[in-house]
Amino acid sequence: MVATRFIGWLRKYEKWFGLTATVLISAGLYTGLVTSSPDYYQGEVVRIMYVHVPFAQTAMLAYSTLFLCSIWYLWKKEAVVDNACHAAAGLSLFFTAGGLITGSIWGKPTWNAWWVWDPRLTSFAIMFLTLVGYLMLRTFLDDKEKKATFSAILAIIGFVDLPIIHFSVEWWRSLHQPLSVSNRGVSIAPDMLVPFTLMSIGVGILFSYMLMVRTQMLYLEHLLEAKQGRLLNEGQL
Amino acid sequence: MHFFRVIRWIAWKDLLSEYRNRENISSMFFFALNVILIFSFSFSLDSETIKEIMPGIIWVAFGFTAIIGLGKSFLIEVNNDCMEYFQTLPIPKGAIYLGKFLGNLLFMLTVEIVLFPLFVLFFNLDMIDQFLQLLLISTVATIGLSALGTLFSALTVQIRAREVMFPILLLPLSVPIFIGAVEATRGVLNADAFSLYSHWIELLVVFDVIFVIVSFWIFEFILDY
Amino acid sequence: MNAILGTSLSKSFQHYQVLKEVSISVQAGECYALFGPNGAGKTTLLRIFATLHRPSSGSFEIMGMDGKRDRVKVRDVIYLIGHGSYLYDDLSVKENIQFAIGIRGWNPTEAEIKKALDQVGIGRFARLRSRYLSAGMKKRLSIAKALLIRPKVLFLDEGYASLDERGVGMMNECIRSFTQAGSAVLMTTHDRGPTADVAHRVGVLNRSVLTEISVKDMVTADALF
Repeated sequence: MVATRFIGWLRKYEKWFGLTATVLISAGLYTGLVTSSPDYYQGEVVRIMYVHVPFAQTAMLAYSTLFLCSIWYLWKKEAVVDNACHAAAGLSLFFTAGGLITGSIWGKPTWNAWWVWDPRLTSFAIMFLTLVGYLMLRTFLDDKEKKATFSAILAIIGFVDLPIIHFSVEWWRSLHQPLSVSNRGVSIAPDMLVPFTLMSIGVGILFSYMLMVRTQMLYLEHLLEAKQGRLLNEGQL
Repeated sequence: MHFFRVIRWIAWKDLLSEYRNRENISSMFFFALNVILIFSFSFSLDSETIKEIMPGIIWVAFGFTAIIGLGKSFLIEVNNDCMEYFQTLPIPKGAIYLGKFLGNLLFMLTVEIVLFPLFVLFFNLDMIDQFLQLLLISTVATIGLSALGTLFSALTVQIRAREVMFPILLLPLSVPIFIGAVEATRGVLNADAFSLYSHWIELLVVFDVIFVIVSFWIFEFILDY
Repeated sequence: MNAILGTSLSKSFQHYQVLKEVSISVQAGECYALFGPNGAGKTTLLRIFATLHRPSSGSFEIMGMDGKRDRVKVRDVIYLIGHGSYLYDDLSVKENIQFAIGIRGWNPTEAEIKKALDQVGIGRFARLRSRYLSAGMKKRLSIAKALLIRPKVLFLDEGYASLDERGVGMMNECIRSFTQAGSAVLMTTHDRGPTADVAHRVGVLNRSVLTEISVKDMVTADALF
């Protein structure tokens, strides 16, 4: 069985991912919050970037994982791949929400507004709404295969749409709200680069770890359901 | 070729049903009329602000119309389990999608074309001269909207919370359509030169091409999960 | 030759395992009647063969073609008369037939349609919108479609449901004409009387155990399950 091999593989290696993520994130937080110096322009506020940027990157990583797993599901129709899709979608929502909240907190002192219709922020907001729609769609569908297929379709459509959304908001914004503070072309000081790298890789690996655990959890739930079904059939429940 | 015959049969069936009961077009039209009514009271409209907000009003009205019309598009297919019949047919499922898409596109465009004179009438607009440009913008925007709407209608038609899920899925993903259509319409109402807003139309065309192709390809899986 | 061959088919819906390792085979030219209590999974089994559900495990073949790999080819030879009428309310009886057959890539002539409708006794309603048909008439219409399509494998879900006495006779005539022409018929039913006239083999599906009994036993037994 593909599923049992896959789950066995996850069980075997998950702890290494967890351990690596702990080490990298601890080191990243220490260097980011304690040893690195505040930014010349932004002051202490810059430190939230050590969380915000890795979260935003990981949200994209998670959505890309969801996209690839969805294609994989449509191709192979393996139930365990759908568990991975479900897990990736939940985590993608988590990191997207985290990215949006930290971005908003960073935006208040920097842009003097909690929210601006910046292309990146807007794309993330739409990604957030799409993921909420994705998880809602899952709760409303009963048939397992149908649930897996329909949600995979939605994930693929949403992924294809993201670059177009980003692009159109960028054009739109250049028309209506010229960028006030450009965060492009800012060179990063070396002592900032260390925590950035540590955190980016650390949160990325944290996501992999969470994905592995959550996929196993959903798979076990699925097994439990099957078991309950068998007991129900035999009249023992 | 069989592929095109399937498209034709599906579109024929939808158009004939619509011709007989007029459910879709009339509900879309009168709904949009109500939206216009509410909008005209929601804003104090002098000729300057009209130009500013009119593109938004037009496309919000059309967007709601799409939600009403496209959301129900697959209802006719599930009422007597016709989806099931399609599923057991030895035909390319993408052709069924294209047939439904064509029907929806025609319904939407019909309603939009009927609504334009009403916008002119109720808001004292001066856009008769630019009718052709507006028609072009409506067409390219509506193609994208129908492409996504037809797909999501098929996705949501068999679930419990259909009326809620359809707009929740459709609206965020059709943001580029609304941005492109509103900005292009603004260009038309300002009587700008075509080249000043043609890039928005290009954006809409790119969206159309991508989503007609992707939806066509992916529709197979809706009928054969 | 095995027209239908199912090997240890299982199917679960969420918590509920409907079928557990059920195997069945039906020869070409044979009518197999499936009895069983409500909820035994008769319809699910039929729908798996009709490529509407994918089995959770197990495999099946239709006319020697693999039900998982060659779904498109399988669909060429099967037809399901189920609970859905597959009709469009605002098309007439004749138009509905034209659509259902035409989309399969074949356009029957007026005479052929009339003959099939007359055969099931609804010829005089050809121009009536199908909205006004009763359940029994819709069933007869489904039989007429099957007569035109002439599938190699016919699935009947509750074959006699909502048919009057004459309708039941008509259904049996239709089944006989199919089996004589070498097609296989797999039906679920609860009516022992009419089934005895056409069935070659009888199976009782109860708690995922398929017990085959003789036609004579079916008629004389006090209770089948």
